[in-house]
Amino acid sequence: MANEHILRAFDRDLEAVQAMIMRMGGLVETALAEAGRALETRDEVLADQVRAGDAAIDALEELVNAECARLIALRAPMGPDLRMVLSVMKIASNLERCGDYAKNLAKRTKILADLAPLPEAAGSLKRMSKQVSLLLKDALDAFIARDAGLAAEVRLRDHEVDQMYNAIFRELLTHMLEDSRKITPAMQLHFIAKNIERVGDHATTIAEQVIYMTTGQLPGDARPKVDAVLGSGGQA
Amino acid sequence: MTMNDMRMESRVQNAVNKIEARKVQVYYGENHAIKDVDVVIPDKAVTAFIGPSGCGKSTFLRCLNRMNDTISVCRVEGLIQLDGENIYDKRVDPVQLRAKVGMVFQKPNPFPKSIYDNVAYGPRIHGLSRTKAELDEIVESSLRKAALWNEVKDRLHAPGTGLSGGQQQRLCIARAIATSPEVLLMDEPCSALDPIATAQVEELIDELRSAFSVVIVTHSMQQAARVSQHTAFFHLGHLVEYGETGQIFTNPQDPRTESYITGRIG
Repeated sequence: MANEHILRAFDRDLEAVQAMIMRMGGLVETALAEAGRALETRDEVLADQVRAGDAAIDALEELVNAECARLIALRAPMGPDLRMVLSVMKIASNLERCGDYAKNLAKRTKILADLAPLPEAAGSLKRMSKQVSLLLKDALDAFIARDAGLAAEVRLRDHEVDQMYNAIFRELLTHMLEDSRKITPAMQLHFIAKNIERVGDHATTIAEQVIYMTTGQLPGDARPKVDAVLGSGGQA
Repeated sequence: MTMNDMRMESRVQNAVNKIEARKVQVYYGENHAIKDVDVVIPDKAVTAFIGPSGCGKSTFLRCLNRMNDTISVCRVEGLIQLDGENIYDKRVDPVQLRAKVGMVFQKPNPFPKSIYDNVAYGPRIHGLSRTKAELDEIVESSLRKAALWNEVKDRLHAPGTGLSGGQQQRLCIARAIATSPEVLLMDEPCSALDPIATAQVEELIDELRSAFSVVIVTHSMQQAARVSQHTAFFHLGHLVEYGETGQIFTNPQDPRTESYITGRIG
């Protein structure tokens, strides 16, 4: 298949929305990394910067949606072009949520800064955060490279994040049972862990969109799920 | 109910096949214009043929009512069945066949006669009515089905050529359906019409599919997407891909179809 449209302005428009997604992805990755660093070093100034930076991510999402609406109205994309536009809108909305989680992380960092630290849990959180950042990076790389194989791998790797979250959940529960003074910081850390775990879920959704965009099919098979609260398989 | 069941329910179900073509070849002298085309056209549905100019879609459409018989150098091979009967059989009278398989062309071509006579022409030559009242009824119902009745009922004896382009095209559709055909072939029926007249003809096509099997050749992919339930993509005389219209336009399986619908080849 020839890769370029007869109408070259169409290619320029498609490239422009992809560039917006990559820019958004970059901002989200930075926000998550900096929120993690602020948490680790108790850096309230950095945490404030992360909170303020979320507005730029939100604005980019609006821009992506407006540009996609314009593309649909003016270019009437078909086949893979249509799938790309639809996927881009969903990916933008997922990235926007990830930005919100980074912001929430920064908010809780400021609360935690006044409380006694829980060093063991912080280490586990850092590992999970690293894993999730990698997941998001690979999902975005899969998008730009149109790599359904890498996207499928991201989808499966989210399972590891879920397991890490479950381990942290138990660890924090132990702290709270041992010492009731640790309940407040442990609860804050638990919310943070849950938020990071949710970023992993969004990375998975992005990977699924990449699979739809490249193959025309959403992956139908269920992924293995383990939930710390509800037990294996998510059954109550 | 799963998502797939819901999707199937919303889709038009067509168990009955109207036309079946097997290994159709068409030659214009030395030129092999249609190569090995197999296609099944369902009843009570709209099937669109799309493809670049010269891909053979109009040629193939014209095989379905033996319009190619009128071209001396044209040779058709293979099997085309209408309701299980070979339309190229020696016993088939092409004039009778064309009463069953009507056709509408790119440019509206009303006869230089009155609106009434344009529609009455077919029923008259085929002897479909015994009395004037019967003929009146056929003319009215055909004009109604073509969504033209209200606009022309007070001037049935005015010349058909005096109507607007969109009205003329609907008059030609009324003329085509006056002989009670089973299949309606349309060769670019909207390419000479403005967007409003196009929308009216498309609305009409959508209504007609409850009574006919409609086959439409169109250069406008948007039109194929809007009016058809099945789409066939022709390229260089081959039928490259044939499938449910939604699938063809969101997830084409053949790279040539994909290139064409996304605007990457001419």
